[in-house]
Amino acid sequence: MAERVRITLTLNGRQRTFEVPPGRRLLDLLRDDAGLIGTKEGCGAGECGACMVLLDGEPVTSCLVLAASCDGATVVTVEGLGGAPGALHPFQRALLAAGGVQCGFCTPGIAVTGSSIVDRNERDPAEQARLLAGNLCRCTGYTKVLEALAAAQEAGHAEP
Amino acid sequence: MPNREQHRRAGAAAAATHGRAKDRQSGFGAGERGHGPLGGRHPRPDAAAKVAGSARYVADLALPGMLHAAVAVARVASARVRSVDLEAARAASDVEAVLGAADVVGENSIGVVFPDQQLLVTDRVRMVGDRLALVAARTPEAAWAAAALVGADVEELPGVHDPVAAVAADAPAVHEGGNLLRTFLVRRGAVRPAARRAAVVVEAEYRVGGQEHAYLEPQGCLAIPEGRERVVIVASCQCPFYIQQGVARVLGLPLAAVRVEQAPTGGGFGGKEDYPTELAACAALLAWHTSRPVRLIYPRELDMQASSKRHAVIVRHRWGADRDGHLLFAEVESFYDAGAYAGLSTVVAERGNVSAIGPYSVPSIDVRTHVVYTNNLFGGAFRGFGAPQVTFAAEATMDALASRLGLDPIEFRRRNVLDEHRRTTCTGQRLRPPVLARECLERAAAAAGWTKRRGAVTVDGHWRQGIGVALVQYGCNLHHGGQRLDRSSAVVILQPDGSVIVRVGLTEMGQGNLVACQTIAAQALGVDPSVVQVWQPDTTTVADSGPTVASRGAHMSGLAILDAVWRLRRRLDPVAAELLACASAEVELRGGFASVRGKPRRRVSVAQVAAEMAARRIEPISNGFTRSSIRRFDPSTGRGAPYEFYAMACHIARVAVDAELGLVRLEEVTAAHDVGRIIHRDALEGQIQGGVVQGMGWAISERLALESGRLLNPSFTDYVIPTAADVPHVTAIIIEGETAAGPYGAKGVGEPSLIPTAAAVRNAVCHALGVEINELPLTPPVLVAALGQRHPLAWVLAGSDPGAGTPETSAALTPAQR
Repeated sequence: MAERVRITLTLNGRQRTFEVPPGRRLLDLLRDDAGLIGTKEGCGAGECGACMVLLDGEPVTSCLVLAASCDGATVVTVEGLGGAPGALHPFQRALLAAGGVQCGFCTPGIAVTGSSIVDRNERDPAEQARLLAGNLCRCTGYTKVLEALAAAQEAGHAEP
Repeated sequence: MPNREQHRRAGAAAAATHGRAKDRQSGFGAGERGHGPLGGRHPRPDAAAKVAGSARYVADLALPGMLHAAVAVARVASARVRSVDLEAARAASDVEAVLGAADVVGENSIGVVFPDQQLLVTDRVRMVGDRLALVAARTPEAAWAAAALVGADVEELPGVHDPVAAVAADAPAVHEGGNLLRTFLVRRGAVRPAARRAAVVVEAEYRVGGQEHAYLEPQGCLAIPEGRERVVIVASCQCPFYIQQGVARVLGLPLAAVRVEQAPTGGGFGGKEDYPTELAACAALLAWHTSRPVRLIYPRELDMQASSKRHAVIVRHRWGADRDGHLLFAEVESFYDAGAYAGLSTVVAERGNVSAIGPYSVPSIDVRTHVVYTNNLFGGAFRGFGAPQVTFAAEATMDALASRLGLDPIEFRRRNVLDEHRRTTCTGQRLRPPVLARECLERAAAAAGWTKRRGAVTVDGHWRQGIGVALVQYGCNLHHGGQRLDRSSAVVILQPDGSVIVRVGLTEMGQGNLVACQTIAAQALGVDPSVVQVWQPDTTTVADSGPTVASRGAHMSGLAILDAVWRLRRRLDPVAAELLACASAEVELRGGFASVRGKPRRRVSVAQVAAEMAARRIEPISNGFTRSSIRRFDPSTGRGAPYEFYAMACHIARVAVDAELGLVRLEEVTAAHDVGRIIHRDALEGQIQGGVVQGMGWAISERLALESGRLLNPSFTDYVIPTAADVPHVTAIIIEGETAAGPYGAKGVGEPSLIPTAAAVRNAVCHALGVEINELPLTPPVLVAALGQRHPLAWVLAGSDPGAGTPETSAALTPAQR
């Protein structure tokens, strides 16, 4: 077995190459190798959603993804949702406006999942809530998070 | 300018800007609503970094040379320790240090209230999760792998896992001195004669389950040694000052040599009140021995297995009322399962003791509250602090009494609830008006459409609709017994550019203390909130402010800030007056300007005044301090004033219950809250919405599956907290009432938002099903068992004989019939 695997991926819009042990989690690559600490570890078992990132456009729990399997993939973390350093996705702005951020530990994962819900133009509130059900939050009771989803969807519709 | 006491107690800085005597007396007047950020929705100062992913929690902090810590813990609940073998762990790769009890430099003792717990056990294991050894290694993986190699030669001993069984004379002793740790009492009036006059009496036993905090950020801290004389701790925590004291004790250092900074904290709910002290002591000890920074982050499984929980409580009731529906007496005996160590259990039960009756007027009361050691996981602080369990019981009994009397539950509560005319609490404390429990009840009932919905149970296939109500009266301070800790400190520094630094000793953990402090400081200084920067607490910047608990954060921080601003204005106002060519007493601060009262156009910016103060070298830093008022309370009778003031709340829950599967869907919660005064509307709503959903989880799905003291479900797959797909519609009714208790009249809402929810859900489920269920959580097996013969498939569940089964043994029986 090779000591390290060389992988190249597009990370927040930039091509990056890493050499990782075969067992390394994508979560650790992001946090420790790429210094992207916005992605959080809440459970390490794919249950809480705090480590959610977009892998080839789909939200995944990065604690359950092996980095070595991501060669050639496109990964977007919370830091890259706005498309440029310091920029925010409309859903992130909506979260701020709705007061949907409290302790903030689940927020990066919620921002990732929520952004993808907005981007795929899912408009049914029940389906939005179902898609967000993989992201646990213990502070907000989700109400303001769901309001932010609706608001971001509205805003996106208003300015196509 | 008002005097200091008016200012401190009523937030009169803003009132002073109006200069109307009436405003000064009440603390705020109608005119004040027109300006300032109070009650608004400006963005929380911590939100932008959090939403962008740049907020640094403790797991995001790393230092050169930093080591990673792990803890080796006991996997049995009760055992004698013969020896602990550290050699295999020491030999493991990448390991720098393995420490046992002999390596503790100071006292091997942890515990906020009683010193009954060792940091590292020496001879006795009392619960799963007791620490045997500490490891520091170059990677977290190496540290935890080495911890798993720590060998313990133990002899298992019989344990005790039920708090009632634990008080029996022959129960295995968890500690020397017996398992009954404390008993608290409330005694008023004479129960026996009152019981003879009662037209209806309800007796019941309630078994209320515990709860896991399930904060999303696991417990964690970082210890940075400065030689062996000083240490810096950066921790996810609610109470930096507890950590300071605990680390000082374990390292044998003076308090001043231990600096604790609170990192951004990913949820607490009580779970980060005392437990972080244990992590900090572990990391600090490893840092002391290795002379390197040490970071300890708990894996989720260990976090759930070893940290404190909401207490499981058994509550026994005998309550009676007269024919007209007036409560005559209430007898309550509760057993709080403290688990293996006292932790905060006595303090939790002390609050539960005086919360056992709720906001009702009852002439004769006999409450006995026992705190009992077992070999279970230890109970601790959890949002509500002992009150939710007894509230569950009280509100269930209220419904049972109403049912026996043939009264609607709201009508029965109406006849007993505290209000302007009937304002003596169960401890005999006469409340200062306004007393808004009745107002909460009436407003919630009207908004929830109670009368229409309670009238008939709607049935749709297996689904049955139900509606239930519950109230709470919550003291927004530390209990009389802990009032020596009930003080708070603040520092306000006016920068030369007019921006403002605020430091307080109470923490932000998601509830909104930063934005509350920012709002209060901005309101008092008449500046925009964006000008005010509130930094996370650090024990070297403010005096010990006690714990961030008891829904006291915003008002205790706020009063200290107002005190600091008042002192600052003694220096600021004369400078402004000179610039404005008026008298100091005429200066008012509003909208970023200092102006002459009554002449708003004669003004200079606060920034200009700040620059002038800097140029003249006038002291720009100001300290503030506050403490809750001294109360009289007699612990031997439970009579007196355990708290300075109370927040009232009423929740009405509307549920749909699948009677076949035993599933509960919470449709809506109407939550009426007496908040005193809104500081920040988004933060307030977030607290109510979050409290309701956390209460709903406790009510419906969150079950701690314990077997011989071991948690069988330490994961989010098996311990089920609510998701976005489960949430009810929350209708918040916010009631403001003039009171001079907190800053601008604010009370506290963090805990009242959770406490009545589970009781209201239980009452709604019982309404839907027509049975009485006296346990929590309301999981499907509990509901199916409660339905007994009324279950649609009872003949299947009972086996082959459809007619079999004895309804008399089912939980559908009323408590009085048992």
